[in-house]
Amino acid sequence: MQIFAKLSFRGKINLGIVTVILIFGMVLYLVVSRVAATAMTGEIKKRGMNLSVNLAGRATNSILAMDFLRLKNMADEVVESSDDIAYAFIQDVRGQVLSHTFKSGFPSELKDANPISPDASSKIQLLDTDDEMIYDFALPVKVGDNRLGTVHVGLSRAKAEAAVRRLLLTIFGVSAGVGLVALAMGTLFASTVTRRLDVLRQSADEMIKGNLDLHVSPLLKRNCWDIRECQNEACPAYADTRRRCWNLPGTLCPDCREGNGADKLAACKECLVHQLNAGDEIQSLAESFDVMALTLDAHIRELKAAEKSLVRQQQLLRTILDVNPDLVSLQDENLVFQAVNPAFSQFMGLPESEILGQTKVPVCTSDQARENEADNLQILQSGGHQSKEVLVHKNGEKRWFHLVKVPVYDGDRITGILTAARDITEIKQYQEKLIQSMKMEQLGKLAGGVAHEINTPLCVILGYAQMLLEDIPQDTESYEFLQLIEKQAQICRRIVGDLLSFSRHIESRMAEMDLNQSVTEVLDLVRHTFKQNWIEIVPSLVSDLPAIVGDKEKLQQVWLNLLNNAADSIGQDGVIRVSTGIDPQSNRVQVRVADNGSGIAPENLKKIFDPFFTTKAPGGGTGLGLSVSFGIIQDHLGSITASSPAPRELPAAAEEGQDSQRPGAEFLVELPVSREKSVTDTFSELPSAEMQAVDQKTA
Amino acid sequence: MSPISFQFPVSSSQLGKIARRSLLVFFAVACAFLSGCGDDEPVKKIDLTKREEITVIKPPAAVTYAYLPQYSHNVSYQRHHRLVEYLSQATGLAMRQVFPDTFDEHMNMVGRGEIDISFCNPYVYVQIAKRYGARAFARIVEGAGEINFRGQVICRADNPQIKTPADLKGKRLIAVDAYSAGGYLYPWAWLLEQGLRKRDFQEIAFAPGPGGKQEKVVMAVYSGKYDLGLIRERTLDILADKIDLKQIRVLAHSRWYPGWVYAARRGLDPANLAKIKEALLALDMKNPEHRQILEKARFTGILPASDADYEAVRRLAEAVESRG
Repeated sequence: MQIFAKLSFRGKINLGIVTVILIFGMVLYLVVSRVAATAMTGEIKKRGMNLSVNLAGRATNSILAMDFLRLKNMADEVVESSDDIAYAFIQDVRGQVLSHTFKSGFPSELKDANPISPDASSKIQLLDTDDEMIYDFALPVKVGDNRLGTVHVGLSRAKAEAAVRRLLLTIFGVSAGVGLVALAMGTLFASTVTRRLDVLRQSADEMIKGNLDLHVSPLLKRNCWDIRECQNEACPAYADTRRRCWNLPGTLCPDCREGNGADKLAACKECLVHQLNAGDEIQSLAESFDVMALTLDAHIRELKAAEKSLVRQQQLLRTILDVNPDLVSLQDENLVFQAVNPAFSQFMGLPESEILGQTKVPVCTSDQARENEADNLQILQSGGHQSKEVLVHKNGEKRWFHLVKVPVYDGDRITGILTAARDITEIKQYQEKLIQSMKMEQLGKLAGGVAHEINTPLCVILGYAQMLLEDIPQDTESYEFLQLIEKQAQICRRIVGDLLSFSRHIESRMAEMDLNQSVTEVLDLVRHTFKQNWIEIVPSLVSDLPAIVGDKEKLQQVWLNLLNNAADSIGQDGVIRVSTGIDPQSNRVQVRVADNGSGIAPENLKKIFDPFFTTKAPGGGTGLGLSVSFGIIQDHLGSITASSPAPRELPAAAEEGQDSQRPGAEFLVELPVSREKSVTDTFSELPSAEMQAVDQKTA
Repeated sequence: MSPISFQFPVSSSQLGKIARRSLLVFFAVACAFLSGCGDDEPVKKIDLTKREEITVIKPPAAVTYAYLPQYSHNVSYQRHHRLVEYLSQATGLAMRQVFPDTFDEHMNMVGRGEIDISFCNPYVYVQIAKRYGARAFARIVEGAGEINFRGQVICRADNPQIKTPADLKGKRLIAVDAYSAGGYLYPWAWLLEQGLRKRDFQEIAFAPGPGGKQEKVVMAVYSGKYDLGLIRERTLDILADKIDLKQIRVLAHSRWYPGWVYAARRGLDPANLAKIKEALLALDMKNPEHRQILEKARFTGILPASDADYEAVRRLAEAVESRG
């Protein structure tokens, strides 16, 4: 049966046909041989009986007349009438043979071979003569009830058998012929089927390979537009030789029905076009195949186009998400992460694959996680938006984020949450600075107002104190008290002065000036005082500095502030290096004041230019010196920065074996050569990570 | 690429099972059928090579009895073999019925001495008496004591041409036999009386023999082959159940003439003849046994006769023969 299953379709059909014909032939052979043998035997017997009856009837008169010649003739006539009659003989009532057809003598055994009883009407006996089988028909010759004798006719069965054999041979021949014809026809029919099936199979193979430009069904001699004499080019079937109109939806014939379902096909079956052009099942399969291939091709093209557009959109979206510095994430309704952008995974320090499928991000604290989850659930329930700022600690660093959460809708249902987090740490810093500066400005105004009000009574107190000092002898206790009052009033006056200069922008008297000269004058003023505390000033002034436009007095106040701060930072035994120079790139002149003092703590570096910020003991300083200096330099469109520890190229300190353990600090003042604002100084006053500052202030 | 294969709705193993079962059933039926084809007839072995010559045994000497073959031998045998048996028993003589094929043969056999007792019509008797010296010794009685009988001239009832005896001229005529009494001689005498001669007829034919000649004449007229037929009376009765007798018209009856006769050949032992005559005359319808014999032979009795009883017939024959 395995072999049968492997047989080709044609082989199966041929095998089936041959089997059917063989079985049919065999059954026919058996039935016919049986029926024919019976029929032939019956026919032989009937014929033998007829011959015998005839002979008996005719012999009566001759027996009565004892006409042996006629009896002999009758017997001979019977034998000669057919070549399968072996013999005939006539006996009288006593069994005496009256006449026979044997040429030489009568076979003695034959006389009593088939005796017939007196009352029997006939008797048939099969005789075997070795050569052949013979039916012996015995019939009494009777006149009325009187028996005159017996006639015997011997009929050979061989001829009948030969006839049966001929019949069977004919059946065999016809069966074989029919078998051959059926085989040929079967092969022909099968090949018409298999040929077309083969085309279908090849087409299917082509289809599997991806070739959809197939044409399996035959081209029609007359297409639907020929048959219907149609000119409607808008009809989808018009000029389409590959597909049949009944397979196409939306055909425009008046008889056509809408759609592409069973209704249309049922209506089409009534149509002349279908009746003329519809083929058998295989053709209709081939036609469906063509339609399928074409439809598939169209669908695949559409799909490819859609896929291309989708990929492009996906790439665009991906690019937008990838490039976006915001942390973008999409969570489903169960708060499981469905998608995150690279900024998100980079911030989380995890690959995207490890984040997707999770519900929590590792950087949140447990409180934040709870809060975040509560927020998410509320959004999922309410469908509202949420926008807030959060502080995240990561690796000891504080980052501010602006979180925006929006629900994602699929129809009316909320299916997830899109979260975008923007890092606003820097903006936050700017905000803090702005607030601080606004605060300082208000404070300055307040302080200025207060100082102005105090200044007059203070002048009165100082004036009277100094007058009294002149009047009172010096060695009295009152003189000491007055001295104390005068000294403290002087301190107050200095404070008030600082406050006033901080709060009140005195109109600058801008003029062309020599920077080196202004610095040298200040150095000359303080050198002696500093010498007392073993502080050495090392000037390193570059000659040929271009002249700048500035207020000489105010700038000298800045230098003095910086030198005082440096001296305060050193205390005793130190070096202050003062250098001037020019930055050819920015076209700015530079003044550096560096010391080898105690330096500025990093946390204070940002605050040193704030008004009233001081690290000195109460009464030691107002915290306004650097603040005022900052304002003056700003007025000159310059910049002032501090760094601590100071750059280690202080030769004087090194040479003199000073304590090199102290970090020291350096202040850099840059001033434009011309009055025009330089481009590069826009944000230079902003504190940066590398900026350092001294930890002390001038009063 | 996957090859396309055709699958039957049943698996190959099921198919195999079905196929094997089908084949088994098929062969079982075929064997049963073939076994029925066997030759169940009993066969007898026979050797045809042993031959012997057949010699015809001459029949034993006996008094021969013949019935003029106006019918077939069968009828002759059926009608007379009981009578022959009776005669044999009654006389103690060996008797045998013989069957001449024709009237001529019958007369010749009487002449050759092969027929001892001849039962014949008066016309034949006249001939054998004249030619061979045969002598009549008995005559039969038919029906209700009829010792004479007559002939008839018949035609088709719907023949419009025949109205008077003159209309018979130029017609086609068929008779039983040239030596028939009732079927030729007697009705021919009537035709002579009507002034008709043989030449007046378009055709004169005799019924083909042997046997059944009376009926053949009726049939020939009935079928229209001949216009006129000559038969002995009572023949139409025999055919009553075979044809529609209304289609046959009896044109005329002949005169009455003597009936059939028993004649002995010349030279028959007179003692034997006497015994036979006595036995014949002894037959009586009242005797049931005799009645059967007589009814078979279609007689009702047998009377003694002499040659003189047939003088009228002899004259009639001469007249017919001479006047034609």
